Amino acid sequence: MRRYIWIIFILVVGCAPWTQVGGLYKNESYNFSVELPKGWMRWNKGEQLFITRDGVSLQYIQIGRMKIEDPLKHTKKKFSKGMLPQEAAEVYLDNLATNSNILNLEVIENIPATIKGIPGFKAVYSYKNKDGLKLKSIHYGFIVGDWLYSINYHAAQRYYFEKDIKTFEKIVESFNFIKTV
Amino acid sequence: MRDIGLVLLFCLVFAGCPTTSLPPLTQDFRLEEDETRLWLRFEETEKWIQKSGLIYHDEGLEIYLNDIAQKLQPPATLKNISFRIKILKYHLPNAFSFPTGLILIDTGALSRLENEAQLATILGHEMIHTTHRHALKKFRDSKNKSAFLATVTYGTGGLGSIIGALGALTTVMSYSRELETEADTEGFKLMAGAGYDPEEAPKFYLYMRKEYEEEKIKEEHFFGTHPRFQERAENYENLLKTKYKDKQGGVQNSEVFMEKIHRVILDNASLDLKAGRFKIAERGVEKYLTIKPNDPKAYCFLGEIYRQKAEKEDLEKAKEHYQKAISIDPSYPDAHKGIGFIYFKQGEKEQAKKCLKQYLSLSPQAMDKAYIEEYLKQCNGGEKP
Repeated sequence: MRRYIWIIFILVVGCAPWTQVGGLYKNESYNFSVELPKGWMRWNKGEQLFITRDGVSLQYIQIGRMKIEDPLKHTKKKFSKGMLPQEAAEVYLDNLATNSNILNLEVIENIPATIKGIPGFKAVYSYKNKDGLKLKSIHYGFIVGDWLYSINYHAAQRYYFEKDIKTFEKIVESFNFIKTV
Repeated sequence: MRDIGLVLLFCLVFAGCPTTSLPPLTQDFRLEEDETRLWLRFEETEKWIQKSGLIYHDEGLEIYLNDIAQKLQPPATLKNISFRIKILKYHLPNAFSFPTGLILIDTGALSRLENEAQLATILGHEMIHTTHRHALKKFRDSKNKSAFLATVTYGTGGLGSIIGALGALTTVMSYSRELETEADTEGFKLMAGAGYDPEEAPKFYLYMRKEYEEEKIKEEHFFGTHPRFQERAENYENLLKTKYKDKQGGVQNSEVFMEKIHRVILDNASLDLKAGRFKIAERGVEKYLTIKPNDPKAYCFLGEIYRQKAEKEDLEKAKEHYQKAISIDPSYPDAHKGIGFIYFKQGEKEQAKKCLKQYLSLSPQAMDKAYIEEYLKQCNGGEKP
């Protein structure tokens, strides 16, 4: 009996952060709302929201924000207020390029983008992880006040990436601020 | 009874421990069984590195580096070890060798060297790691330690500790002080024996120690190794004071060396800039300019460093460097973009428009064309340019 209690405990604890999603998601503290697709799983980590359908190693969408003065993990460069979208994209991509876990980084597209009327950037890139898996990502970034908001789609390049681009773009379109910025 | 079992297990473990006291490779050597497996593992890693996009390609430079390695190679190993030098695109300075004879040197290390004698010091050191079978010694030592841990955790069900300890040992992948000192001493012999100036040996490490202190950089690398600059410098200084105190002068070949590595210096400065190490990137470009004083790319690059740093007078300094690049080559597009970008941020729309238009006319297929067109649109008050 005790063994079964342990198994149930491990299963429950192991799955605890992931919850099923679908519909409007509001995060008052981080001042944004998005329409999430049905049948995906959600996990909140700090100021980041992750959703996935097939597992994070195959695909995930990440929405969140970070303080612009916070240090980045791999480059010493920082985001700053008044930075142009192209400069913000430069910092974001340089942080990736300096990450030793990212191999064969290829920037496919880096263009201006507007999210809810706020000028930002859209970067599309591919890379290989240390296990040789080729991944592809679309990243929208924009600076609002002291925050850099990011909406990121990340998936295995083969098969999975194409599959959820539309879902991702719908999420980007649905992004909104709860309070006016 | 349990104590007797423990003693027996101790004896079994240590009787079965492979020796870490191994002779260096000679012409007639045969790989031991575990050594063969280790070589296979490193051969696989070599294939992975070749495909990883980490290799810096410069055929001429590779030939030059391999020629120097041949000058240093101990004759006893010529038949069996085929040393080959490859360059890794990585801004932090390091070098490491595989037991199979592959030596990897980072652009970060190459770009900070001043001459062939300093390069020979690094290569000699790494060659000794290979010829003296340091990887096998380290591997066996780690294995023996995990066997020891298995013994001491006997009866406690400490499987987790064994895995943890082994994991920690394999991830560190740095050699012991004893093995590093052997590589310093024997490598120094190779370098001095090939006629290089021994006084040059500690200089790179002293320079690096200073740079790491200034920048507060933690020593880290892809493969978890770290060069321990202080230790290296002290070892070479001691050798100069003792064994080699009467040996003076020798080959440096600074000019040839600088000519061969000039491209690496600029490319590595670009990696330093991406890492946000502005001061070091600037130092790199300045070093490059002592070799190629009229290269507009280098001046434009200095402009980029100041523009991205953007502290106090930096934007004005950036403009000066962009101007200098244009004065050398008016058709160099990136310099026009750099100035245009600064004017745009400073609200000087007319000047920005002129420079950005010039950039697009010189580089009509620029990757950032969409951004530039957006700036031009804003310069025109929202109208298309």
